[in-house]
Amino acid sequence: MEQVIANGLYLGAQYALIALGLTLIFALMNVLNFAHGQMYVLGGFVTYEVYGLLHWPFVVALVASALTLAVLGALIERFLFRTVIKRSEREESTMLLAAGVAYFLDAAILLLFGEKQRGVHKILNGVFIWDNLILPWDRILVAGLAILFIVAFILMMQFTKPGRAMRALAQDRVAAQLMGVPVAFYGLIGFALGAMLAGLVGGLLVTITGVNSGIGGPISIKAFMMVMIGGAGVVGGAIAGGFILGMLESVGLTVLHAYGDITYLAIFVALMIFLAIRPNGLMGKPWG
Amino acid sequence: MAPILQVKDLTKRYGGLTAVNEVSFDVEPNEILSVIGPNGAGKSTIFKLISSFVKPTRGEVTFNGEVISGLAPHTVARKGVVRTFQETTIFKGMTARDSVIVAHHLRSHASLFGFYLGSAAARRDEADFGRSSDEILDFLGLGAVKYEIASNLPQGHLRALGIAIGLAANPKILLLDEPFAGMNADETSRAVEMVRAVRDRGVTLLLVEHDMAAVMKISDRIVVINFGVKIAEGTPAEIRANEKVIEAYLGVEDETIGL
Amino acid sequence: MTPMQRGTRIAGIGAFLVVVFIAVPMAIAAAHRTDLYYTLSSVALLSIASGGVWLTFYIGRINIGQGAFALVGGYVSAILVTAYGLSFWLSLPLAGLFCAAASVLVGLPILRLRGVYFAMVTLVLTEVARLSALALSVTNGAKGITSIPAPGPIGLFGLTIVPAFDTFAERNVAFYFLSVTVMALCFAGLWRLVNSRVGRLFAALRQNEDLASSMGLNVPALRVLAYAISSFLGGVGGAIFVAIAQSIYPSSFTVNDSVNFMLNCFLGGLGYVFGPMLGTLVLYFGWDLLFQTGQYQLLIYSGVMILLILLLPNGLFSLRLPSRRSS
Repeated sequence: MEQVIANGLYLGAQYALIALGLTLIFALMNVLNFAHGQMYVLGGFVTYEVYGLLHWPFVVALVASALTLAVLGALIERFLFRTVIKRSEREESTMLLAAGVAYFLDAAILLLFGEKQRGVHKILNGVFIWDNLILPWDRILVAGLAILFIVAFILMMQFTKPGRAMRALAQDRVAAQLMGVPVAFYGLIGFALGAMLAGLVGGLLVTITGVNSGIGGPISIKAFMMVMIGGAGVVGGAIAGGFILGMLESVGLTVLHAYGDITYLAIFVALMIFLAIRPNGLMGKPWG
Repeated sequence: MAPILQVKDLTKRYGGLTAVNEVSFDVEPNEILSVIGPNGAGKSTIFKLISSFVKPTRGEVTFNGEVISGLAPHTVARKGVVRTFQETTIFKGMTARDSVIVAHHLRSHASLFGFYLGSAAARRDEADFGRSSDEILDFLGLGAVKYEIASNLPQGHLRALGIAIGLAANPKILLLDEPFAGMNADETSRAVEMVRAVRDRGVTLLLVEHDMAAVMKISDRIVVINFGVKIAEGTPAEIRANEKVIEAYLGVEDETIGL
Repeated sequence: MTPMQRGTRIAGIGAFLVVVFIAVPMAIAAAHRTDLYYTLSSVALLSIASGGVWLTFYIGRINIGQGAFALVGGYVSAILVTAYGLSFWLSLPLAGLFCAAASVLVGLPILRLRGVYFAMVTLVLTEVARLSALALSVTNGAKGITSIPAPGPIGLFGLTIVPAFDTFAERNVAFYFLSVTVMALCFAGLWRLVNSRVGRLFAALRQNEDLASSMGLNVPALRVLAYAISSFLGGVGGAIFVAIAQSIYPSSFTVNDSVNFMLNCFLGGLGYVFGPMLGTLVLYFGWDLLFQTGQYQLLIYSGVMILLILLLPNGLFSLRLPSRRSS
């Protein structure tokens, strides 16, 4: 039991960080970033190159993952999304663009890094044992780092100028503009930050589960589920959704193990029923 | 005469906040009744409760003796209680005339399938709706702009279009949501005339409004709400002399009293 | 409608039918490219499913779940034909109706969601369908259903109207005519729908659901109606597809297909009924043409797609019909 909960927390911390990035982009730009999973994969491959192949320190690799994705996110916002948002009659067109970007990144990642599953050497050896609980130290470190990033993100959103500006922007774009918030600039920053978070988790998780070029889509779907559970565009919701999905997965894989591959089916169906009762998730605002 | 609409002990709580608290009043047939109050007094909640866009925590609304609170909004509309929206809420891509034609749906005799196949009844309905729409649009002074895309119309016309869409649904009682908001004196007096004309068509009117001057001019009776509670009810003259009302309004800055 | 417009329309429909039923087969025969029959059948069937997605867009919902109904439709037809020995021709409408019924059950709760919420749930729906197909025994799990017999003959009063598909020298020719006929029927039906009062009610829903319900429209019922028609089209498209492939697996229609259906609509332009046909044709052939680029296929394809969105954010049809905006 403790093992299941510990696994759930470890997964949840990673998931929450993924969902945070997705929800941030959604809140600021009203864009559902289909490419979020691909950004995660790219982050994983950057760390694989820097830490796994070049044998530079893990911290450097993680910074490289974050920076690569931040720059990529900024470029995508500046040259793609901003243009389409401006020109399109319907805001749904951004979904098409996001899907195009997802396909493009999928293709680029496949060309650059191949289709093999890639892993790196452990960042920490040894296993933590306490009573029935067995946890490898590297998992504990990765979960700890994820939680640290989450806390840092929340503190930044609460107490720094860019954080406050982005919250104002998420709340009411027009009002923020009237108050003198440079809306376009913070849209760019927000997109870069969201992409960066995806890259960070990719860099963290490559040390545990490895990475391959095909998991971008499934990761995006998981991220969508977390955001739906918690409520789109809400920081607290993303964190809650991440931990809930992590926990459900951990419990499901243990309890439903005997029945084969139905954990996700069960989670999907539960999610549908939950959304029928609470259309806006746990904390989401009404949409539209 | 029996009241056409009765509001009884209407209460709405959002979490710990009581937006509307045990409000009761009657609307008589063919009168113009206004619900007024300072901003945040609970007027719009009352409006949504009557049109059944929101379910009451307690209390009920009856229309011609039949309880309508808790029913779906379209069912309430079907019974003859039709609400309008403020001018931002229209069918943006459609022409004014098309919007009003669509709004005639309650009057149709043909089924959806009949409309799909273009049955005789459907063709008759379409012709009727067209005629009736032209009549309503002319009546509200929109005849000249009826082929314009609605979102291109100026504010005054949009307000009239909102009322036209409401009239198309064949209401017994029409609920108007702040029909004078944001209008200058000139526009307001034209809008007041329009509302009177609608009443002369035999439609009962319930307004939610905070432009006191217009309300005083137009209403047969007024219900005053403050902090979710009814504090006064009566004719414009009675309301003008009511101390509680004066107090409530003086307590709020930036409010046109027009006493 | 003026006689002139009526004339243009009849000419347009005539030209379309001539191209699809006469010119294309002749061109294929002349070029000895019978493989194109399969490609074009696929385009026709994917257009049907995309047409359904287009209708959900028409009521203001972003539908990324059509893959689920294509899969369900395919399975229903396959199971009816293989396990119950039913004729393919009967299984086809049944597959569509089954999907429509299923979409009513699913749609009643989820159509209350709007915007990205609905989009995300429908995306998840595709995964639900795939996982259900894997888990259930009636669908035969990961092994899928294979060796599905080709459609038999249709006879009326002892007269063979459509011969059994196995009797054709080139089976895919028969499937081509079947697919484009069904496509023409579906889009004629959609066109009529959108241009009837029902279409205007749907448009009213897209514009503003609150206002629509305030004038007495039964918004939940209309939404479900549109979604059911949409899913019917998905099921029919899926069922014919499975008949061509003669097999179906849980991965026959995946999230990627759902996304592609949506893309077809976007690319064709959401304001035009025939947009999904054009979008499907362009995307499918674009993808096929890029086959020669080998490993760069997806990169170029998605690159071009991004460019297209940048240059024509309102769809391909917006090029040809600048003045005839959705009204």
